[in-house]
Amino acid sequence: MIFRREDIIVSTISRILVPFIQIYALYVIMHGHYSPGGGFQGGVILGASMVLLLLTRGYDEATGRVSENTITLLTSAGVLIYAGIGLLCLFFHGNYLDYGKLAALLHVNPAHARSLGILGIETGVGIAVMAVMYSIFLDISTGGVLPEDEEEQ
Amino acid sequence: MNGFFMVVGLILCFLVLLVLYRVIFGPGVFNRIAAISAIGTKTLIILLIMGFLYNRVEMFVDISMVYALLNFIGCIAAAKYLEMEK
Repeated sequence: MIFRREDIIVSTISRILVPFIQIYALYVIMHGHYSPGGGFQGGVILGASMVLLLLTRGYDEATGRVSENTITLLTSAGVLIYAGIGLLCLFFHGNYLDYGKLAALLHVNPAHARSLGILGIETGVGIAVMAVMYSIFLDISTGGVLPEDEEEQ
Repeated sequence: MNGFFMVVGLILCFLVLLVLYRVIFGPGVFNRIAAISAIGTKTLIILLIMGFLYNRVEMFVDISMVYALLNFIGCIAAAKYLEMEK
C-alpha cells in the first residue's frame, strides 16, 4: 500500500509534470497517423501519468480522484468503443472495422471517414490501455487487498 | 556534420558501457538507481543523434520525450519502493 509522504520536491515536480504528460499522451493518440505512437502508446503514457499521481500522492488521494469502480468501467468502455465502431461498419454493409462505410453516417467522403474511424478506434484503445495499466498497478501496489476489505476483517 | 554526430554517438555508447559496470557491480542500491538514470539520459541523446543521422528528427524527438518521462517515473517508483522497504 502506498501512502502519502510529505516531500516537497517530489510532490511539486509531479504536480507540475502530470498535466503535461497527459497533454502529451493525447498528442500521441491524436497524431498517431504521422508520427510514432497511436492508441496503445498514448494509453501507456496516460496510464504512467496516473501511476505517477498514485506514487506521489498515495492511495487515498489517487482513488479519491479516480475510484476503482470508474477504472473498471473505463476498461470496459474502451473495448466497447472499439467493438462498437467495428460493429457499426457491419450495419452499413461493410466488413468489421471497414471505416470507409461510415461515410454515409458522418456525411463526409470515404477518405475522411476512414481517418475519423481510425481516430475513434485509437481513442477506445487508449482508454482501455490506460485503465488496464492503472488497475494492474493498483492491484500490485495494494497486494490485491483493498482498504475496505481490511476494515471488514 | 554526420560524421561528427556519428563520433559523438559512438562515444556515448561507450560511456553507457562504463556506467553499466556501476549498475551490475555497484555497491548498494542507490548507486544502481543513479547509474540507471544516467543510462536513461544517455540513451535519450543517442536517440536524438540517431534522428539527425536518419534526417527524421521530428519523429525521434517524440520517442525521446516519452523515454525521458518514463525514465523519471521509473526512478520515482524505485525510490518509493526503497522507502517502503524500511
